[in-house]
Amino acid sequence: MDFAFTEEQQFFKKIITDTVDRMVVPKAREIDEKDEFPWELWKDFTKLGYLGLRYPEEIGGMNADPVTAMIFYEQIARGSVGFAQSVIMNILMGTYFVYRFGSQAIRERCLFPAMKGEKVATMCFTEDQSGSDLSATRTTAVKDGSEWVINGTKMWITNGPVADFATVLATTDLSLGAKGLNFFLVEKGTPGFSPGQVLDKLGCRGTVTGELVFDNVRIPEENLLGAELNKGIEYLGEILDEVRVMTGAMAMGIAQAAYDEGLEYARKRIAFGKPIGNYQLIRAKFADMATEMEASRLLIYSAAWKMKERLPSRIEAAMAKMFATETCCKVVDEVTRIWGANAFANEYNPQRHFRDARFLLYGGGTHEILKDFMGRMLIGK
Amino acid sequence: MNILVLVKQVPDPEALVEIAASSKGLNIEPRFAVNLFDEFALEEALRIREKQGGKVKAISLGGPKAIEALRTAIAMGADEAVLIEDETLAASDGYNVALALSKAIEKETFDIVLAGRQAIDADRGEVPQMVAQFLGLPHVGVVVKLDISDGKALAESSLEGAKEVVEVALPAVFTAQKGLNEPRVPLITGVMKAMKVQIPKVAVEDLGLAKDMVAPENSKTKIVGYLPPKKRPAVQLIPGEAREAAAEAARILIDVERVI
Repeated sequence: MDFAFTEEQQFFKKIITDTVDRMVVPKAREIDEKDEFPWELWKDFTKLGYLGLRYPEEIGGMNADPVTAMIFYEQIARGSVGFAQSVIMNILMGTYFVYRFGSQAIRERCLFPAMKGEKVATMCFTEDQSGSDLSATRTTAVKDGSEWVINGTKMWITNGPVADFATVLATTDLSLGAKGLNFFLVEKGTPGFSPGQVLDKLGCRGTVTGELVFDNVRIPEENLLGAELNKGIEYLGEILDEVRVMTGAMAMGIAQAAYDEGLEYARKRIAFGKPIGNYQLIRAKFADMATEMEASRLLIYSAAWKMKERLPSRIEAAMAKMFATETCCKVVDEVTRIWGANAFANEYNPQRHFRDARFLLYGGGTHEILKDFMGRMLIGK
Repeated sequence: MNILVLVKQVPDPEALVEIAASSKGLNIEPRFAVNLFDEFALEEALRIREKQGGKVKAISLGGPKAIEALRTAIAMGADEAVLIEDETLAASDGYNVALALSKAIEKETFDIVLAGRQAIDADRGEVPQMVAQFLGLPHVGVVVKLDISDGKALAESSLEGAKEVVEVALPAVFTAQKGLNEPRVPLITGVMKAMKVQIPKVAVEDLGLAKDMVAPENSKTKIVGYLPPKKRPAVQLIPGEAREAAAEAARILIDVERVI
C-alpha cells in the first residue's frame, strides 16, 4: 500500500498552505468579528484561480483529483472556515449542476464567471422543516408552458444573501417524495426571487447564510439542471461523497488550526516553573489529539483516493465525515482546556475554533442520519 | 533581458532546530521553504521580465527535496529551472557552493544574476558575492530598488541612515533586500505548470568539477561546533518612580550590560 501524496500533491499542499498563511490566516479574526462577506479577500483570493479547482482545464479549471481537492479544502478551512465555506460553495455544490447540465449559454452566464469569482454561487437544499431529510422538500416546481414556476422558501443557504445564482432543489410532485426532486437554476434579478432573513450564527461567521424566497419565480425550461426529469437525487449522488469527505477535510482544517494554537501555548505557558507541555496530563492530550487527527486523515484521504479511482466510497465518505468532525470537536475542546481561562477570552483564537467546529456536525448531514444510513447499509434494510 | 535567480531551499522559519548531542551538527525538523530573500530576488526578476521581456531561470543547489523550491519559482512565473543535485555539496561551505553555482551560470546566456542577500538558515550572506568574484562580474548588495535600462542598472541600497545609489554595467550580480518588492502569491495556472514540469538536474561533474574538490571535507571553512545561546536571565524589575526607574534602566544598559 502507498499512503504518500504524490510529489505533485505534496507541492500543491505546500503552495496552498503558504497561500492560506499569507492571505487568509491574517484576516480570519476580522472575518469572524465582522460577520460580513469578505469581499476584499474574495477578490484577491479568487483571482488566483482556485475556484476552478475541480473543473477541466479546457474551460479554465485545474482538473484536480479528489485527493488534491481535499488538500485544498483542509487548508482553506485551516485559514478561516467562514471564508472557506463561501469558496467551497463556488467550487463544488454551487456550480456542479450548472457545469454538469447547463447549456453553453448558462455556462457562460454563470459557471465561467463563478470560476473566476466574478459571480457568487449557492446551492439550496435546506428548508425550515427539512435538512438531511431531502424527501420532505416542500419547494415546488410546476411546469407552465415553456417555463417552470418555483415556489417555496429555503433556509440556511450558504452565500444566499449575496448569491448571483442558485441551484435550487424543488419537487415536481409532493407525493413522490425524494423521487420527485430536481435541480433548477435561478438567477439574481429574476422576479419573485429575493433574499430573506440573514442568520446570526454561533460560528463560521463571515459566510453569510440566510433565507431565500421563491415567490412565483418563472424560469425558462433550460434552467432545469438534469438530463431527465425527477432524477435529482440520482444526480446528487455524483457529488454526495465529495461533499461529505470535504466536510471532514474542513473539520481537519479547523482541528489543525486549533491544535497548532494549543501546541504553541503548551510550549510557552509556564506553570509551576516550567512549560505546561512538560506535564504528563497535557502531553497526553497531544498524544490523543494527534492520534485521532491522523486516523481522521487516513479516513479522509483513503475515501478521496477511492473516489479518484472510481471505487465505491459511500460508506467510507460518511465514516470520514463523521469521524473527522467528531475528532475536530474533541480537539477544539481540548485546546480550550490547554489554554485555560484564556480560551474564554474573545481576543484569542481557541474560542473561534470551538464555535466554528460545531457547524460541521450538521453541515454535510447530521451524524444521527449518517449513522442510521451506515447501519442500514451494513446490516441491510 | 535574461535573468538567472539563485534560489535556496531552507528550513521553514517555524521548523524546530536543536543542537545535536555531539554539538557538531543541528537536528532540524524536515519542513522546508524557499529562502525569503530569494523570493524578493525572484519577484524582481519577474517584474523586470514583465517590463522588458526575456526569460527568468531559477537555479538551485541541494538534495532532491530542493526541487520543491524550484517548483515554487516556476509557480511564481519563472520560465525555467535547473537543480544542481548534490546533497553533500549542499553541506559544503559558501566557497564550494559559489564555485559550483558559478560553473552552472557560465553555461547560461544572461544579463542579470539575482539572489537573496542571505539565506535565513546559515545567515552568512556570502555566496552571491563569491559567485560574482568567480565570474569576474560586478556585484551590488542589499538592493531595495533596481532600475534596468540601456544595458546598465541603477541600484539603490539601504545604508544606516542613508541610501546609496550605484550605477553598474550589465551583466552584474545583485542581492535582494527586504523592501525591494512584495513577492506575489502564485496563480493556479503557475501552480499547475509547476506540478507538471520536469525540472532538469545536473551533477557537479557535469559542471566540470571533481566531486571531491567541492566536498565538505575540502571546505575552506569548517564548522567546529554549535553552542546554545546564553540562557536569558530572569526579568529584572526596577522599582521606584518612573523617572528614577528610567534613569536606573539607562545606567544598567550603559554601565552593566554595555549594550548602548
